[in-house]
Amino acid sequence: MKRSSFIVLFYCLFLLLFSLLYFWSSVADAKVRPTVYVVNYPLMYFAQRIAGDHAQVVLPVPEDVDPAFWKPDAAAVERFQHADLILLNGAGYAKWVSRASLPRRKLVDTSAAFHDRYIATEGGATHSHGREGEHSHAGTAFTTWLDFTQAAEQAKSIRDALSRLTPEHKDEFAANYRALESDLLDLDARLSAISSRRPAPPIIASHPVYQYMARRYALDLKSVMWEPDAMPNDAEWKNFVELHQRYPADLMLWEAAPAPDIAERLRKLGVQSTVFNPCGNRPENGDFMSIMNANIEYLQRNFAH
Amino acid sequence: MIDSLYIAWRYLAFNKARTATLIGCVTLLAVLPLSLDLLLAQSERELRSRAELTPLLLGAKGSALDLVMNGLYFGDEVPELVSMASVSAIDDAGLATPIPLYVRFHAREFPIVGTTIDYVDFRGLEVAQGRLPALLGEAVVGAEVADRLGISAGDSLLSSPETVFDLAGVYPLKMRVTGIMKPSDTPDDRAVFVDVKTTWIVQGLVHGHEDLTRTDDTSVVIERSGANVVASAKLVEYTEITEANIDSFHFHGDPEAYPLTAVVVVPHDDKSATILRGRYLDGETPHQLVVPGEVIDGLLATIFRIKQVLDAVILVVGFATVLALALVFALSIRLRQREIETVFRIGGSRSTIARLLAAEIFIILVASASLSIVVSLIVHHYSGELVRAFFIR
Repeated sequence: MKRSSFIVLFYCLFLLLFSLLYFWSSVADAKVRPTVYVVNYPLMYFAQRIAGDHAQVVLPVPEDVDPAFWKPDAAAVERFQHADLILLNGAGYAKWVSRASLPRRKLVDTSAAFHDRYIATEGGATHSHGREGEHSHAGTAFTTWLDFTQAAEQAKSIRDALSRLTPEHKDEFAANYRALESDLLDLDARLSAISSRRPAPPIIASHPVYQYMARRYALDLKSVMWEPDAMPNDAEWKNFVELHQRYPADLMLWEAAPAPDIAERLRKLGVQSTVFNPCGNRPENGDFMSIMNANIEYLQRNFAH
Repeated sequence: MIDSLYIAWRYLAFNKARTATLIGCVTLLAVLPLSLDLLLAQSERELRSRAELTPLLLGAKGSALDLVMNGLYFGDEVPELVSMASVSAIDDAGLATPIPLYVRFHAREFPIVGTTIDYVDFRGLEVAQGRLPALLGEAVVGAEVADRLGISAGDSLLSSPETVFDLAGVYPLKMRVTGIMKPSDTPDDRAVFVDVKTTWIVQGLVHGHEDLTRTDDTSVVIERSGANVVASAKLVEYTEITEANIDSFHFHGDPEAYPLTAVVVVPHDDKSATILRGRYLDGETPHQLVVPGEVIDGLLATIFRIKQVLDAVILVVGFATVLALALVFALSIRLRQREIETVFRIGGSRSTIARLLAAEIFIILVASASLSIVVSLIVHHYSGELVRAFFIR
């Protein structure tokens, strides 16, 4: 064998050995990494921040669907069943959970610690039939994370659940949680500072999703049921004008930027539109923190104005 | 000797009815205690193994035996009910994993076991065909259920009404069978597993119907006052859960108050088990936390006392049968007096007569022993099925 052939063969063998070792370590790593399924993006973000590389966090909801109203098929539920941990938001979020068969021992209700502070939603019709008597389908406000102190409590329950799952990384989870908590409490402080102006200016929300935020930051807020990309019909505009007369808000919060013609018509009524994205699903750009920072900046600008 | 056996064989073959009766009597005498022993040993094994694999069982105060028989073997006797709050209480204690059980309803003659997916992992059950239930109204059936009813994944199974006289009661629920379990040789083979919420639908506590706030059918809506709508009996509740109507299924009242028959409690360790047992010893609590192994030991002690009595009865009956057989032989010798005289006349001795009779007894005993062994082998082979079909149910 020539010397050059020997060197080529040596390098080939070296590369093969290296590839095998790399593959083996990847497989070994994939085996030990637990899978954590979540029902919305805030929980995904918190879990990723706390777990780091020690868990694979999966949000199986398509990006263009609101996770609160997502309806998984049996195959998707089956994937949840096989997860090592399932993080729920609680407060009635993701109603499909109550209609699915999930392993109880893997479920973690991240808002259970403050379930006594849930806000009941209004407007649920009651009905009666059969022998059960009258009952209501009124629900619970579920965007719990928009009160950032509650978000920190949810993150804490994620830290505890992950620590139970892989106790060997407990210290790392605790350190990651402290960093996340600090960021969340910073958001809380900034939003509290903005809303500390008294008397609180009235605000109209395009959707009833800001209840916890309004309570925590003492916002004077009323909600309608408008979609940012659908022009409200005449009856809805009429109701809005009546509401605006009783409740002279000059700011309207939207989950996403409203269509220009809606924003223009609102401006003519003296109502400025601003986006406060609850970030229930993965954002197109940025992450939970950058979206919330942007939300607060928009709000700050509008409040100052 | 061969000649004696041949003559005895010919005699027995000629008197078929008498021979069959004698063989039957002797066989029964041997098979009865042997089979009883086999079945009792199998019962003990089955009862003990399942009880020992279930660390603790929580239920309402009352008969611990009813609780264990229903919770472990899906017996027909329904114990006093507990609520889902008792599951949450175990969860909150952080000492054990609770697995709810609601074993009250049936599909055909098989028990519907309402539980969570955790039960499947806890018992180490495996799916042979299809998948586990994922949504409300889905069921996975045990191997024996699938075999006896001839169903496979994709078929449907109706729940049976609790009582045929409850005409205004809940309609049977059409459950979609999503999978078949591998045989486990336990009562799980005879069960229809569903999510516990599905059993509440069977009971009518969770149900789905058209949206009353949107319907314009005046024959359905009796009255609308403010935010309340009163519906008539014409309102049809869905009897099958489909993709189209699953969202209309809703809980009435607090789900924590919903009923269960038992809760399997799997403590994290021995210390947790001891602490939990201590908490439920309080006389004030409406619950009991039992160790199924201890309850089954008590049951087996009673069974073995009964077995001792049975053994004594069999002994007496056996003695009487032996006496009867002796009498049959004695009488047959008298009846065969002319035959015996003929044997003497053609040169046979007393010992020849004795050899002939001994050969007859020998053939009868060998035939009975062979038959007893065959019957015992059959009983042994089917002992599991026999015990599950007749004793543990």
